[in-house]
Amino acid sequence: MATSSTDAKNAAGPGSGVFAVFKYLDDTCNVIEKIRDRQDFRGHEVFTPTSYHEIEHASNFGSSPVRFFTLIGGLTGVTLGFALALFMDYDWPIIVGGKQAGVLSIPAYVVIGFELTILLGAIATIAGMLIMGRIPNPKVPVVDPRTTDDRFAVFVPGATLDGPQAKLLKDHGAEEIRITRI
Amino acid sequence: MAGDAAGVVSVDGSREPVWERSISDVNEQILVNLRSPHPSFYVAFVIAVLCLLTGVGFVAAHTIYGLGLWNFAPPSMWAVDITNFVFWVGIGHAGTLISAILFLFRAKWRNSVNRSAEAMTIFAVICAAIFPLIHMGRMWLGAYWALPLPNTNNMWINFRSPLVWDVFAISTYFTVSLLFWYMGLVPDLASIRDRTKGFKRLVYGFMSFGWRGTAKQWHHYEAGYGFLAALATPLVLSVHSIVSWDFAMSIQPGWHTTIFPPYFVAGAILSGCAMVYTLLVPVRYMFRLEQFILKEHLEACIKLTLLTSTIVFYAYAIEFFVAWYSGAPYEWAIFEKRAIGPYAFYFWTMVFCNCIFPLAFWSKSIRNNIPVTFVICVLINVGMWFERYNIIISSLAEDFLPGSWGHYEPGLWEMVITVGSFGLFFTFFLIFCKFFPIVSLSEIKLIMPKPLRGGGKHHH
Repeated sequence: MATSSTDAKNAAGPGSGVFAVFKYLDDTCNVIEKIRDRQDFRGHEVFTPTSYHEIEHASNFGSSPVRFFTLIGGLTGVTLGFALALFMDYDWPIIVGGKQAGVLSIPAYVVIGFELTILLGAIATIAGMLIMGRIPNPKVPVVDPRTTDDRFAVFVPGATLDGPQAKLLKDHGAEEIRITRI
Repeated sequence: MAGDAAGVVSVDGSREPVWERSISDVNEQILVNLRSPHPSFYVAFVIAVLCLLTGVGFVAAHTIYGLGLWNFAPPSMWAVDITNFVFWVGIGHAGTLISAILFLFRAKWRNSVNRSAEAMTIFAVICAAIFPLIHMGRMWLGAYWALPLPNTNNMWINFRSPLVWDVFAISTYFTVSLLFWYMGLVPDLASIRDRTKGFKRLVYGFMSFGWRGTAKQWHHYEAGYGFLAALATPLVLSVHSIVSWDFAMSIQPGWHTTIFPPYFVAGAILSGCAMVYTLLVPVRYMFRLEQFILKEHLEACIKLTLLTSTIVFYAYAIEFFVAWYSGAPYEWAIFEKRAIGPYAFYFWTMVFCNCIFPLAFWSKSIRNNIPVTFVICVLINVGMWFERYNIIISSLAEDFLPGSWGHYEPGLWEMVITVGSFGLFFTFFLIFCKFFPIVSLSEIKLIMPKPLRGGGKHHH
């Protein structure tokens, strides 16, 4: 299974390998299941036009760390929201309806705390999606525009056209195989 | 699979729509319209820009002459300005409901309409945000006075006021909707990047952050998208509740009622779904998207409209009942006045447009009759505008003290700014349609038949 450091290495620098294009989803899933733990496929990348859950299932990624970004963002938001309202109310109390500043006014502050939870949680989630997806990435070459259209692709770094990896991919229904750099 | 003319019955018994296109057609057929829309697009765009310009003219006049341009006078200190504010915020909510809440419910029909619905939300919230600024008069001061910034008065904003809650709610809602919409666009912008050359490629490449569509990127993307949907869901329910508290937290008869949050949220979804339909029908025609935004998807949108219309109908009825049952004289007086008093026209238009006409949607043949449904949806939006007008003006014009009573009718400048806000909304929306994919390319591929070697059988 590829680690995130090999992912970063592949995304950033040049490295040639075998690039196989698949037309069918089930072929691609079969291939992923076969290659995901094999040593000679280490560092492989799979390209898909959309987020089919079959691919997700076959790749066996586990939970994404984005959830930690969301959690931390949300907790920061609720803390900041209440802190903002409480501080400002203590600093210059605006007594409305006899409600003293501080704890006795908590129901009003819930709204502020809640909105900031959502806001900072959402911003943190976006940050998580970008960081974990390693984007923005200005150096990325587009390997094959069909992968954002209707084709799937598997890239295996370090493999050659006459190696075992290319043979396995061809046997599982690769429409096209070539050497490329990503 | 056994099927009939309406669709294929799949393994779980639900009726699947018949797709005449495959995922290979999606990119070409949706993106080709970025280059060459139907000529009616240009006509619509010119009309929208003209309306927008009248609004700009209004803002200029308003900046020079002040709030005196409007017709309002005590006791009606809120009038068409706040009506428009609540109207536009309400419209935005359906977009987030379709995007976020239906995502969590895994409703398939959402995938063809969600991109436009999210765009609609953002533009509606922009239109909405202008009105509190305008209604403050000196918007160059009001823009920052509403924020919790240090100032020479050494005062802070009043966190107990729903107007301040509104500041936080609307800003959060706008930011989260924008982020949600944009992240959803990133893979589609990458698709466009891969299909253009030169300067356009540079721009779309920049906007798509270098997205490649690797399985790992999709994995993190889907996780984050799910969390954003989960965060946006309480936002739909809370933001319009907070807006309703602008009224409910006061003591005005007709306003000070606990039914306002659910009533407003249901009304918001009603007007928003009707607006989604109103936008999608012409857009579907102009950009030739009939094979992607299917009739079944439009029908699902109408069913949602019907549901919220019945909730709103119930809310009107129960409000009346409780006002009478409570025995509170001022409350009942307001409701009596709404029905037979000076603003009865607005009240009855509201009831007919929001409650009576949508009853036609119980009939399947009417739901699937696009011209009739389009007219009813436009009427729903008229009714929803009148509802906000009705709520605001009737409770303000004749409240507790007869000596304070007054009468308000909207004047020319009110009409101008209303038209201007529609112009702003449609201008932005049509620009969006010209430069961005109206149908979410990656998400619609998820609901179309999958490319399986076994032959395209639909399985879950």
